Amino acid sequence: MVEKDVIVNSDAGIHARPAMMIVREAMKYPCDVMLIKDSVEADAKSIMSVLGLAIISGSKLTIRAHGEGETELVDYLINLIEKDFRV
Amino acid sequence: MRKLTVRYFIEGEGRIDLQLRLFAGAGGLDKEIKYGEINRPGLALAGFFDYFAYDRIQIFGQGETAFMNQLSCEQKMKTYSDFFSYDLLCCIFTHDYVPDKLFLEFAEKKNVPIFLSKRGTTRFITLFVHVIDEIFAEQVTLHATLVDVFGVGVLLTGKSGVGKSETALELIERGHRLVADDMVIVKKIDESLLMGAGSEILKHHIEIRGIGIVNVREIFGIRSVRNRKRIEMVILLEEWDSAKEYDRLGLDDKKYSILDIEVPYITVPVRPGRNIPIIIETAALNQRLKKIGINSARELDEKIKKWIMTEGQK
Repeated sequence: MVEKDVIVNSDAGIHARPAMMIVREAMKYPCDVMLIKDSVEADAKSIMSVLGLAIISGSKLTIRAHGEGETELVDYLINLIEKDFRV
Repeated sequence: MRKLTVRYFIEGEGRIDLQLRLFAGAGGLDKEIKYGEINRPGLALAGFFDYFAYDRIQIFGQGETAFMNQLSCEQKMKTYSDFFSYDLLCCIFTHDYVPDKLFLEFAEKKNVPIFLSKRGTTRFITLFVHVIDEIFAEQVTLHATLVDVFGVGVLLTGKSGVGKSETALELIERGHRLVADDMVIVKKIDESLLMGAGSEILKHHIEIRGIGIVNVREIFGIRSVRNRKRIEMVILLEEWDSAKEYDRLGLDDKKYSILDIEVPYITVPVRPGRNIPIIIETAALNQRLKKIGINSARELDEKIKKWIMTEGQK
């Protein structure tokens, strides 16, 4: 299991399009991956789940993956969020 | 869990309205409600402050107000200053009783919110405890879809992409009602009651691969949705695995544990061409039969056993 924290800095938070970028990448990997905000867990492979977290600018997010490709995926997602979805 | 403040009693989205009127002490609205408990302050007003639960919600009924009424001005001064020397959370007066001026002055000065309720004390407390229990209920967010199928709250779980949302859509089309898709907030209201609802923002939206996000309430109308539903069974959808043994009899009841409550649980293997919604409808109806004490599988088993016993003797 790999777990890393990231602070979301995008002004608009994670709205529909960024959520889609996360889900699209997560779907490429066979591992289970969760986004955790304020101890609420969301499946990173589900758009509705990610949107439901209501991630705003400044939110602290934990990304936790378990299974094949976990390290790669977590690193990719952290990079995606840190680079403000301009990858 | 999010912090709950006294402000919740008068404002906030998605709250249960207790029909309270703020009368004084607005400065204390941001005090945190730490315990979901109430206190009748009769003893404290009479001067007995041992075990005074000042950090609970104080409820003034007819007894308390009658007591306050018969106090002389000097007595009031003494009683109220003792009473307000504690860091009170808030006071609620039932029967729309407006406390005297001195009491309100103390409340303003000490920033203790004073609310009035039209209801009688017992009725108010019943309602209030119900609401407070729900707010303080243990909760968990599940990646699942909740649908009311023939009145049975069915929680569909399974890996992303297995077809939970598509199944929900088909069930809606068949006249069942969607509670939440992909994210269900489950609250343990009581030792045997799990209540599921969707998140406020996502409410009744569903994501279908190929179409995107759609609003079920707008497309299918108000009859296709409901806001909350008791969870009565869990159905796990999973890709058909030919190496796995699936339940062919239904003689053994399996349970799925959510917040330490056991919920009846079945696994439905998904394969192209398999009509999942009709299987879920049947499972829901079967669950209803089981609830009233009819277990088809067990009854057939009994019948066969009896037949074997009698025929075998011939």
